[in-house]
Amino acid sequence: MKYVIIVKPKKTILDPQGKAIKKVAERYLQNKIKNIRVGKYFEVEIDKRNDELIDKLAKNVLSNEVIEDFEVLKE
Amino acid sequence: MKVGIVRFLGTNCDYDCKYACDALGIESEFLWHERRDIDSFDVIILPGGFSYGDYLRAGSLAKFSPIMESVKDFAKKGGRVIGICNGFQILIESGLLKGALLKNKNLRFIHKEIYLRVEKSRCLFTKNLDDRILKLPIAHADGNYFCDDDYLKYLQDNEMIVLRYSDNGGNVEDKCNPNGSLYNIAGICNEYGNVFGLMPHPERSVGDLGKDGELIFSNFLRASDV
Repeated sequence: MKYVIIVKPKKTILDPQGKAIKKVAERYLQNKIKNIRVGKYFEVEIDKRNDELIDKLAKNVLSNEVIEDFEVLKE
Repeated sequence: MKVGIVRFLGTNCDYDCKYACDALGIESEFLWHERRDIDSFDVIILPGGFSYGDYLRAGSLAKFSPIMESVKDFAKKGGRVIGICNGFQILIESGLLKGALLKNKNLRFIHKEIYLRVEKSRCLFTKNLDDRILKLPIAHADGNYFCDDDYLKYLQDNEMIVLRYSDNGGNVEDKCNPNGSLYNIAGICNEYGNVFGLMPHPERSVGDLGKDGELIFSNFLRASDV
């Protein structure tokens, strides 16, 4: 069973990485971009489906709830 | 009086901390991160570095080391714990201190000497240093302290803010803020003052390297105040 977990900076958090990329991208494309935010992508494989385990992993290891939100997707 | 200096994979300020202890005549010993028995120590240092290569988030993987369970128990019993730089990040990730340390606002690794004002706080490591201005080096990429408004108020109301970036006259202003930290925060402590995390490196301002770091290290010796 394969899970995909996406971790994103919370909306209220300033994302300086995203800002820097946006600036460069706008220059390269010569086009305005409204916003870029940078997150993390994880692929986790386990033998049997276990949503609870994956949720625990995403909440306590892969993300920091003070600054990040996470989303679990099943493939 | 014995200080334990924890070594994680990727710690690189362990010898700096040992140098500082040696310079002040404080007995110290390195502690491997798999060790669990730390009750014979008076102060535990989580030194700076890049534990686990800063993978995932700075400090996030070190918190699962066996020794961190012992450090949590040690702190709960009132033992003094100081986390410097990456050590501060580990304290935050472990929940021994609260908030988050984000990437520096300018996205750069910053390495320079800065001034700090010691706030009136309950921190045991800065006893008798209220309002002092310290000059210490910083060297970090993720030192931008963040917390929500409620927690900032909690830190203020409970005198848990220990160090703030200032100018050499002790004026805390935006222009003295190297990394974008909320409220110019450079160091905080817990409710009991026995757990202290800071981004600057006091161990690099001891002996031949400077004097201001000594003020913090010499407080290690005030065991009678605890």
